[in-house]
Amino acid sequence: MRVPSNLSRGGLGFNMTPMIDVVFLLIIFFLVSSHMAKQEVELELDLPEAGSGQRPDEDDIRRVVVNVLPEQDAAARIVVGGRQIVTEELAQLIGFESRRKAGHLEVRIRADRTVPYRVVEPIMVTCAREGVWKVTFSVVGD
Amino acid sequence: MRRPPYHSERRGPLEVKMTPMIDVIFLLLIFFICTASFQMPEEILPTRFLLPGTVASETPIDPEVLDLDEIVVKVLWRDGGPQWQINDRDYTSLAEVRAVLEAAARIKIDLPVILDVDPSVPMENVIDVYDLCRKVGLERVQFAASVAA
Repeated sequence: MRVPSNLSRGGLGFNMTPMIDVVFLLIIFFLVSSHMAKQEVELELDLPEAGSGQRPDEDDIRRVVVNVLPEQDAAARIVVGGRQIVTEELAQLIGFESRRKAGHLEVRIRADRTVPYRVVEPIMVTCAREGVWKVTFSVVGD
Repeated sequence: MRRPPYHSERRGPLEVKMTPMIDVIFLLLIFFICTASFQMPEEILPTRFLLPGTVASETPIDPEVLDLDEIVVKVLWRDGGPQWQINDRDYTSLAEVRAVLEAAARIKIDLPVILDVDPSVPMENVIDVYDLCRKVGLERVQFAASVAA
């Protein structure tokens, strides 16, 4: 039996279905991995409540997120990018990032609501010293 | 072998293979399961830092006079609870602090507020006061630093 050639009919010679599956897989992979990356940067904390909070703008590139945990151990308190960090190292990191971003760096302080001010104050002083003027506090709405 | 014409207007019922569709549904389901998070959506409170070299000169504050140049709100931590001092007058509830700030905001909306927070005050109370200033309309809030610049 002579099988007519597909090409002469103007159709494709192969199935599109697996291709579409692969495209969907890739899309979903990149979506999930970006979501997981964001979750690593923003730890789950009990943030303070505030009524005058604004929606954050999604400009992720020029931001350093500093998570301040309510740990008692001073070494485990400040976490940046999934890594525990001490205040001196934080000063270097903020300085480096600030120079890299040419002064447009935003430092977001995500502090648990039970963290005493004495832990957060050095972070703010460091930001002011390194020339970072855009410091924001993460809160939840009340 | 005769085949039905492909470019004809009259086509039969659509024969769709369900298998790829089910694959897509499973993929979407797994995506939403992995990315579901039950956290409350976060908001931000922006601050405006004054950098060294741009700080205005300090003027002495007379707490009795209504014509204020700046307000100093001290947040203290006594007996496990917060207490507030505005220009050296004590207040024991946030509602009183709010009333004073609202009165000050009515006089001068761009009044600078300086927050002097005790080191042991939790961030919750710090954010409460800062949020209060923003709610009342006072946008120029600065944090006092007790470190030698």
